[in-house]
Amino acid sequence: MLKNYLKIAWKVLLRRKFFTFISLFGISFTLMVLMVATALYDHAFGPQMPEKDLDRILFVNMMQERKDGGYQMSGPPSYTFLDRKVRTLTTPEMVSINSIFQTVNSYIDNRKLALDIKFTDSEFWQILDFEFVEGGPFGPQEVRNAQRVAVINEATRQNYFGNTTAVGKTIVADQVSYTVVGVVKDVPVLRLHSYADMWVPLSLRTEDYSSTSLRGEYFATIKAHSSSDIDNIKNEFAVILQDVERQHPEKGTKLYSYPDSIVEGFARTFLGNDDDTGMAKLYAILAAAVLLFMLLPAINLVNINISRIMERSSEIGVRKAFGATSSTIIGQFIIENIFLTLLGGLLGFLLSAGVLWLINDSGVIVYADLGLNLRVFALGLFFCLVFGLVSGVYPAYKMSRLHTVAALKGGNQ
Amino acid sequence: MIRHLFKLIWNRKKSNFLLISEIFFCFLVLFAVLSLVVYNVRNYSKPLGFDYDNVWLLTARADIDSTELRIAVEEQLTQKIRSYGEVEGTALVSSNSPFAFSQMKVWAKVGDGPRILAENLDVEDTFAEVMQLNVSAGRWFTKQDDAARYNPVVINRVLQQELFGDESAIGKLITRDDSSQVQVIGVVDHYRGSSEYAEESPVIFTRINQQREAVFWGEILIRVKPGTGIAFEERMVKDLSGIAKNWTLELTTVEKMRQNKEKLSMVPMIAMAVVCGFLIFNVALGLFGVLWYNISRRNGEIGLRRALGASANQVYRQFIGEVLVLATFGLVLGVAFAIQFPMLQVFEVESMVYFIALGIAVGLIYLLAIGCAFYPSRQAAAIHPAMALHEE
Repeated sequence: MLKNYLKIAWKVLLRRKFFTFISLFGISFTLMVLMVATALYDHAFGPQMPEKDLDRILFVNMMQERKDGGYQMSGPPSYTFLDRKVRTLTTPEMVSINSIFQTVNSYIDNRKLALDIKFTDSEFWQILDFEFVEGGPFGPQEVRNAQRVAVINEATRQNYFGNTTAVGKTIVADQVSYTVVGVVKDVPVLRLHSYADMWVPLSLRTEDYSSTSLRGEYFATIKAHSSSDIDNIKNEFAVILQDVERQHPEKGTKLYSYPDSIVEGFARTFLGNDDDTGMAKLYAILAAAVLLFMLLPAINLVNINISRIMERSSEIGVRKAFGATSSTIIGQFIIENIFLTLLGGLLGFLLSAGVLWLINDSGVIVYADLGLNLRVFALGLFFCLVFGLVSGVYPAYKMSRLHTVAALKGGNQ
Repeated sequence: MIRHLFKLIWNRKKSNFLLISEIFFCFLVLFAVLSLVVYNVRNYSKPLGFDYDNVWLLTARADIDSTELRIAVEEQLTQKIRSYGEVEGTALVSSNSPFAFSQMKVWAKVGDGPRILAENLDVEDTFAEVMQLNVSAGRWFTKQDDAARYNPVVINRVLQQELFGDESAIGKLITRDDSSQVQVIGVVDHYRGSSEYAEESPVIFTRINQQREAVFWGEILIRVKPGTGIAFEERMVKDLSGIAKNWTLELTTVEKMRQNKEKLSMVPMIAMAVVCGFLIFNVALGLFGVLWYNISRRNGEIGLRRALGASANQVYRQFIGEVLVLATFGLVLGVAFAIQFPMLQVFEVESMVYFIALGIAVGLIYLLAIGCAFYPSRQAAAIHPAMALHEE
């Protein structure tokens, strides 16, 4: 019976090629756009090399000082603050301090390479999971001795050394020579807290270690013992910050700084306000965008489906005349609809894989490595099925309840 | 005729409901995307007010704490750069140089007037030459301003309009951040330094006066002769690194910074346009399919009309008309919704942008509707009355 239904479904699809095309196009393209959007979201916020244990990692990337009279200054925190107040926190498993990346120039064979350089300590390599292509990270020893060693990414190795190994060779950036000790896979630029082309020991920077300013050019990356410890870390941080606020030389200055996860950090920058992270707003905006985007294809799918079923009213009439029950007819349409949706889903899957491959390959996004998110794909497919069933099966059901004669005549009366 | 068509659609409003709502949402999507595009295109077509070709930006990050020492090194750097034959001029500038990502806002006010938020750029006297600004009223900074009682500033036309209206601004005083007073000595017509796709916003140029207050700026704009390339850049950076030992020197072209800014505006716009294009295409296909089916179901009616003497052309016009009326129903709803944006000033955007976008969106929807109805209506009109009636 099932085989028969599938056969009929296939024949029906072939008979009205244009309608089939519209349905398949709608399903597959909607799924594709949804997949690309989620891939981009994952690319920006999801767990990804090197930030894999996202539920255990927090970042401190902002320090805002608000003085009396509404005058405010904000920027990344200073080394002194992070070293004295954040590194000494007791709840985290480990804390790393690293500079924001800066662009420096390197010249080779009459070409200019603009390299983004980041100064880090050795904890940085333990907290984050970089994938080393060759060599390894620098350790506490190298950092203490301020040795001129560097870890570079694959793209820099390609641009600077060509298609060879790089470990043990010398790379000159900003007129300083570094010995390469490791090469890692490229990190996407959206991973602000880990991204760079070249990582070198923090101790090579001599500036502003003595400055007492709270703002500077550094981030802290905090790793918790377990994901349940996250709140404890946030609370301890808040207590310490209040302490710093009290000791601030200028009375009445308010300080705002938080250890945030990646999404929280993003939401706070654009939508947040004081102690509110802006996460609720971010999710509301995202949900509204997805809903609005899905609405049009959904209406379209419903519209097309209703037309398709109406067109087949005489077929339903004939089947009824030969004694088919309502449930048999509905069963047939359910199977037909699932068949069509799955076909569209398959096409959508192939399309999204192709488009993601194209984006990765074209280099529109620097060092992108976009992948399919199967969970979201399944969800998208599920919604397509729901809409398909509601719009395809409900009219069929109504028609199957009609009088045989009425159905034979077109079912419109 | 038109009333008749409206009546026809109204009578079948239940079955047409989905089509109308599809057109309604389609219009909203088009309106939103077009508003963004129109906004960007309008801004892009306005003059920038400066010339960025052959201008480089050197950013120096010091590794010493002492401000005096920093300034001394910066002075040496500037002199070295000016000594090259390839360099036409240099100018110190604050970190919000043209197309930079940083901003520095100050409140400006005249007497008891309203406070206006303006971008404040600290610039050296040579800035006008390096960026080729055009001062339309008053004059640019010169050496003679060293002894001026008030710090001199040059403002752009937008700020002049907001602070002084149609009066001349030259010689007038502006209170900055409720504390210091500065004197306007010149007005430039345009300066849109933040992005080519941004609206022109109020700008104040403040004169850098190292004699009065010595500050380490760390950013130097350099105008080089046309055709100066990478070889010179490498030589210069090498020489400069010799002067500023252990400093981080970053040299980039303003053109490169402009491209970064352009990407920031273009990428979301292109992504939205692609998604919108797909949605519209999807809707067009759906509309076409449904219209085709609906019209082909009315063969009997068409046959009857033809038999009673209606010409093929009349039948054709009726169907196109019906689709247009259908689109109008959706559009009336959509326009009623969209018109709220300019009325309530939801975002601080000129109303003109919305009206243009609205006009284009309405036009496109009608085109879409006609395009989708064209083929099915032609087919309907071509039906032979005898055939149609026979089928019935």
